[in-house]
Amino acid sequence: MNDFVLVRKNLFRKKLRAILMIVSILVAFLIFGMLAGFYRAFTAGEDRAAADRLVVVNKINFTQPLPIAYFNRVRGVEGVRQVAHLNWFGGYYQDPKNFLIALAVQPETYLEVYGNDIDMSAEERQAFIRERTGALVGETMARKWGFKVGDRIPVNSNIFSQRNGSRTWDMTIVGILKAKRPEIDTNFMVFQYAYFDETRSFGKDTIGWMVLQTTSPDLNDRVAKAIDQMFANSSAETSTDTEKAFNKAFAAQLGNIALIVTLVVGAAFVTILMIVGNTMALTIRERTREIGVLKTLGFSGPRILTLVLGESVLLALLGGLPGLVLAAIAAFALRTSMQNFLPGFAVTPEIVALGVALMILLGVVTGIIPALNAMRLKIAAALGRG
Amino acid sequence: MRSLLLQIAAVTSINLKSMPQRLWLSLSTIVAVALVVIVLLSFLAMANGFQRTLAGSGSPDIAMVLRGGSQAEINSTVSRDQVRLIEDGPGIARGPDGKPLVSSELYLVVDGIKRSSQTKANLPLRGIGEQGAALRQGIKLAAGRMFNRGANEIVVGKGLAREFEGFDLGQTVTFGSSRWTVVGMFEAGGSVFESEIWADLPVVQSLFNRPNFFQTVRARLDNPASLAALKSYVDNDPRLKLDVKSEAAYFADQASQTSDLIQKLGWPLAIAMAFGALAGALNTMYSSVAARAVEIATLRAIGFGGFPAFVGTLVESLVLAAIGGAIGAIATYLVFDGFSASTLGGNFTQVVFDFKLSPALVVQGVLLALIVGLIGGLFPALRAARMPIVAGLYA
Repeated sequence: MNDFVLVRKNLFRKKLRAILMIVSILVAFLIFGMLAGFYRAFTAGEDRAAADRLVVVNKINFTQPLPIAYFNRVRGVEGVRQVAHLNWFGGYYQDPKNFLIALAVQPETYLEVYGNDIDMSAEERQAFIRERTGALVGETMARKWGFKVGDRIPVNSNIFSQRNGSRTWDMTIVGILKAKRPEIDTNFMVFQYAYFDETRSFGKDTIGWMVLQTTSPDLNDRVAKAIDQMFANSSAETSTDTEKAFNKAFAAQLGNIALIVTLVVGAAFVTILMIVGNTMALTIRERTREIGVLKTLGFSGPRILTLVLGESVLLALLGGLPGLVLAAIAAFALRTSMQNFLPGFAVTPEIVALGVALMILLGVVTGIIPALNAMRLKIAAALGRG
Repeated sequence: MRSLLLQIAAVTSINLKSMPQRLWLSLSTIVAVALVVIVLLSFLAMANGFQRTLAGSGSPDIAMVLRGGSQAEINSTVSRDQVRLIEDGPGIARGPDGKPLVSSELYLVVDGIKRSSQTKANLPLRGIGEQGAALRQGIKLAAGRMFNRGANEIVVGKGLAREFEGFDLGQTVTFGSSRWTVVGMFEAGGSVFESEIWADLPVVQSLFNRPNFFQTVRARLDNPASLAALKSYVDNDPRLKLDVKSEAAYFADQASQTSDLIQKLGWPLAIAMAFGALAGALNTMYSSVAARAVEIATLRAIGFGGFPAFVGTLVESLVLAAIGGAIGAIATYLVFDGFSASTLGGNFTQVVFDFKLSPALVVQGVLLALIVGLIGGLFPALRAARMPIVAGLYA
């Protein structure tokens, strides 16, 4: 009989009690896994950001437009490799509830600036550049709505209208965009700015914002300053930031999600720490006489310590691992329904690693005091008690 | 019957008096239940506070006119001609001077710095017409004065001034290249308007380069029933492709989405945690029964019935849960009630709101605690009632 068998038998001596503890640990790690996945999806914008990309927006706020003339002026700034301009369309498909992330872009520059993020065939690329009413649809969006290459779809806007009064733009899907990196979400579509600008009833010759690539991330600060200075005191001043900082500030607008997640996970962990810690102390106290017998048989103090700690760590793992598995399954099941709201909701390997580390920590923390007491126990006292 | 009641009273009091002997286990159950209740109630208080802020904003006798299909003020556009047609519409109240009580407005998003995170956030700047302030209920200047017509002056809502930097009275604020002076701060009964910046409409139109551009029209109705008349007037005029709804309905729509989301997050979390706490409660109560095995068996041997043992254990569990629930509710009230927060609302701008705990929510929290106590006590109580006397005496 090796020590592991002893640990296992000890743990399940009172089956009901062991199962109850496992359930409470399972719940805590289920909550941990889900919230960590939620938080990760929430901050994914920062991971998606490329180090050499800057975002130029109107200084008043990023929802305010910029003149199209800025595009060529930014292009000329030293240290700028390529610039793309984008315009939020406020799109929806058939019903306002079917919200579509649609952006009006100038094809060549857009595909160049985002070349490391998205992928498509050479023919699709050419078709998008050539076709005035052409649109590229992300893989996720295409799957969600059953869009295929060649489909002609009506896309509505809740912001813009055409000069003829219509709020619907007809677009032909000329290609499907695939993500080149796992962090990239493809629940969006892009279509030609020229088509959009010529037909819209107001806001002509303005753009929403610009995204540019610098020749090197080291130049980011200098380029950002140069651009903002160029437009200082004009009617539309700009604010230039790294993509990462921009995405982070945007996520922070929803509220202090990090704090909420930390508090809830903290509360769940304090709960199980109290329950499991107390129960472990109780079970070891009940076995005082037995530990005395083990010591009489020649089990050393450190070995007893390992046995007790092994028991609490095993308990934490037995509860925690299924908890994480359940979290992963739940996250997978919720993925489609969360697509619009929170893309990239998943339990990742990093979350699993952190979870396992927490389980071991939990096992050690709950077991250490009973284990130390057991290790220090004098044989005579142990056998005399209870 | 009387003897049964006496037995129950006796056993229950033994149970309760012996609780300190299991101090740590009992405490851990109380803490576990309290934490469950805190998590549940803080989410519900958040959803409730947000809901109240938005629901309190809309008035049933104000009609809101937006471009058809635009859903939110920020997406809407209304032309000057359309504004005139609305002003002539039926059912709109008129002032003593015979002018319709109408405010055409411009809704722009500007940047502000959130105090708590020091990051940029979207704030609404509203250009309002002459009647703008009068069309909102309970607007009261808390400090300073109203902006002068035609001046670069703004008044700010109390919530906005509290959550975002740089809007103190007398300060100059720069939006792009335009400079504005904060001349007043207003209260609006905790409504969403307290998260807004107001200025004179023509000044906003000119400084933001939007001449003759309007986004929404607000009109005071003769009475809430006149809405239908105004609606059919708009629907029958081909020049007016506009949506008309009551302000109350507009804000109710906006409130439901976010507060739904918060509640949908809060309940599953609390229920998951309740399962954890339930495991703890069961553990505590089984230990309690085990620790008192000799005692229970002795009582049974001298003629006590099984039922009093059952009730005693169940009551102990319920008492632990009730204490936990009460501590949780009180802690949530002390820590979170009135806690000020802000998030992005339906207009893509920050809405400042306070967490608000209501008696109905407290009842929900305490009920959840008692359910944990009930289930946590039921099975151990059955065990106590069914324990064979002989086995108990030798335990």
